Amino acid sequence: MKVLVPIKRVADPANANKVKVAGSEVSHDGLEWVMNPFDEWSLEAALRLTEDASAKTRTGEIVVVSIGPKAAVDTLREAMGKGAERGVLVDGEDTALDSNVVAQILAKVVEKEQPDLVLMGKQSADGDSNIAGTKLAELLGWPVINYASHIETSDDGKTLTIKRELDVGVQTLKVQGPAVITCSDRILKPGTIKNGVTPADFEYPDLGDLNSRLSNLKNIMAARKKPLDELGLGDLGVEPVRVDEYVGFELPAGRSGQAQFLESVDELVQKLQSEAKVL
Amino acid sequence: MAVDLFNPTPEHAQLREMVRRFAETEVEPQALEHDRSETFNLPLFRKLGELGVLGVTCGEEYGGAGLDAVAACIVHEELSAVDPGFTLAYLAHSMLFVNNVYQNANDEQRRRFLPGACEGTKVCGMCMSEPDAGTDVLGLRTTARRDGDFYVLDGAKMWITNGAISKDELGDAFLVYARMEGAPRSELTSFLVEKGTPGFSLGQKIEDKLGMRASPTAELVFEGCRVPVANRIGEEGTAMLHMMRNLEIERVTLAAMSLGIARRSVEVMNDYARERKSFGEPLNRFGQIQRHIAESYAEYMAGRAYTYQVAGQMDLAKPGQRLDTDGVKLFCATMGKNVADRAIQVLGGYGYTGEYRVERLWRDAKLLEIGGGTVEAHQKNMTRDLARLTKLR
Repeated sequence: MKVLVPIKRVADPANANKVKVAGSEVSHDGLEWVMNPFDEWSLEAALRLTEDASAKTRTGEIVVVSIGPKAAVDTLREAMGKGAERGVLVDGEDTALDSNVVAQILAKVVEKEQPDLVLMGKQSADGDSNIAGTKLAELLGWPVINYASHIETSDDGKTLTIKRELDVGVQTLKVQGPAVITCSDRILKPGTIKNGVTPADFEYPDLGDLNSRLSNLKNIMAARKKPLDELGLGDLGVEPVRVDEYVGFELPAGRSGQAQFLESVDELVQKLQSEAKVL
Repeated sequence: MAVDLFNPTPEHAQLREMVRRFAETEVEPQALEHDRSETFNLPLFRKLGELGVLGVTCGEEYGGAGLDAVAACIVHEELSAVDPGFTLAYLAHSMLFVNNVYQNANDEQRRRFLPGACEGTKVCGMCMSEPDAGTDVLGLRTTARRDGDFYVLDGAKMWITNGAISKDELGDAFLVYARMEGAPRSELTSFLVEKGTPGFSLGQKIEDKLGMRASPTAELVFEGCRVPVANRIGEEGTAMLHMMRNLEIERVTLAAMSLGIARRSVEVMNDYARERKSFGEPLNRFGQIQRHIAESYAEYMAGRAYTYQVAGQMDLAKPGQRLDTDGVKLFCATMGKNVADRAIQVLGGYGYTGEYRVERLWRDAKLLEIGGGTVEAHQKNMTRDLARLTKLR
């Protein structure tokens, strides 16, 4: 099974206070870059779909793709250190991208790579647009399933049974690949991925606060030697058209940080009634 | 693009990120408990083997990663930021044993000892200090004499990190410095001694330490201990060179441990001083508190730049950096202790309790002024080396 996992680098949300905005642009100066956590979930799901976790062997192929400047190579190498086989970097400046441009570029990469599945983040932690996956599926004419919590493959990876946890309950869908899937964080729980190779009773460790598995030093070093293609838009034969125009950015207002510690629930209820007047 | 002294290659940056995430998610939650109970977390130690960092500087052919002194500093700094005690056990294993054996032992010995040590199935250490010989290391009195295909070792070793993994169980393998009977003071010989060797026993697990309580410390006893000739490292009388080679990486990684303590202490006091209010203002609006925070950060960064600059210049196969490997430890050990002390001061009563971590870091920091060379030993070595110079370049 071959899975394409698009990966975006985003400014580290832990140091969000370093972000500076000026009119219609966000300054990238001095930011620390990390893998988009939503993409990490999909990478972890892709790893579980393409391995025998019990025998610790890879059984399929993952191609990670990023659109960005040269330095985004580090993010791709990080993904390869976790197990992805190959990387593709498409040259692009963050300021020239919107979700539509991303989807158009990814569609060309999919055409070239012919994966069985595209697994991507439901959104990016910086733009929060939540568009690119659906738009990509539309351009490809592929089915799209958003916020998958469980994925089971059968028929040599051609048939996918997917669960989505919704407010009204759990929805189960069956689709014939190829397809585009975005994941919810539930996908990181043990027992959510069944690929017919990893024994059904194998238990993945709980990842705790992590968004994907830790690499190890051997794999980090091995990732240096894995193949990584660097492409320009010309190589892909695409002239993406942007539909969004960024008009302005502003930072959120600072929080007041006023907190009161109360002695009892009764006191809380009383204050919610008399002071906050929300009850 | 400017060189990042602390992460000179993308692999260094990824290593740092990987260890930091491991430290935050798996090491942090257990740190206070193992400090309080004064116990070594063996299952967690074995996980370091899965991460591939136990053999960070050991060649790939023996199960290591084949990386440099900078990589070793990164692992120590990141682990020490959450649990210096656990990190000290890592250091004793990975630097004092694995790196030492890799640099100094022959191929057969490396093949016998290193794969298990790199995987984490063995817990190992190094034996230098004795009950009556510390800074004066050449005053050691453990002797060896040849008896056929064996050497017979007699003596005792003190303050051995990883000497015991529990109250009554020895660590698995040790590199032991001794002197051949009748040999001159400067001629030492080193041996690989395994648990189960006749005449090798646990004297006592040392209890009631001020800090570094998550690393096990022991006195080890050699009484007619019969070590096969195949376990002698190098030739008789050549171990001074082994010792010198390894002391340098030991000191640099101990300095990196102090950096971890300092970084965490700065983070803790910075966060607290931003949130906590006094007289209607956040603490960090007060000049006295600003001095604690700003000076701590500047000293931390100065120590960090010095340490990584020296680590970046090191050739692990060759000694010759004593002045600066002593220098980084001299500076960083006391710096780490002072920064942890200021963190307690900024936090006041809260800093004095376990929940805010800095009291533990402060206790752990003190050891780094003593272990792996006292500050007085560094001052002596450095002044001796400096006396040979007239101009500094």
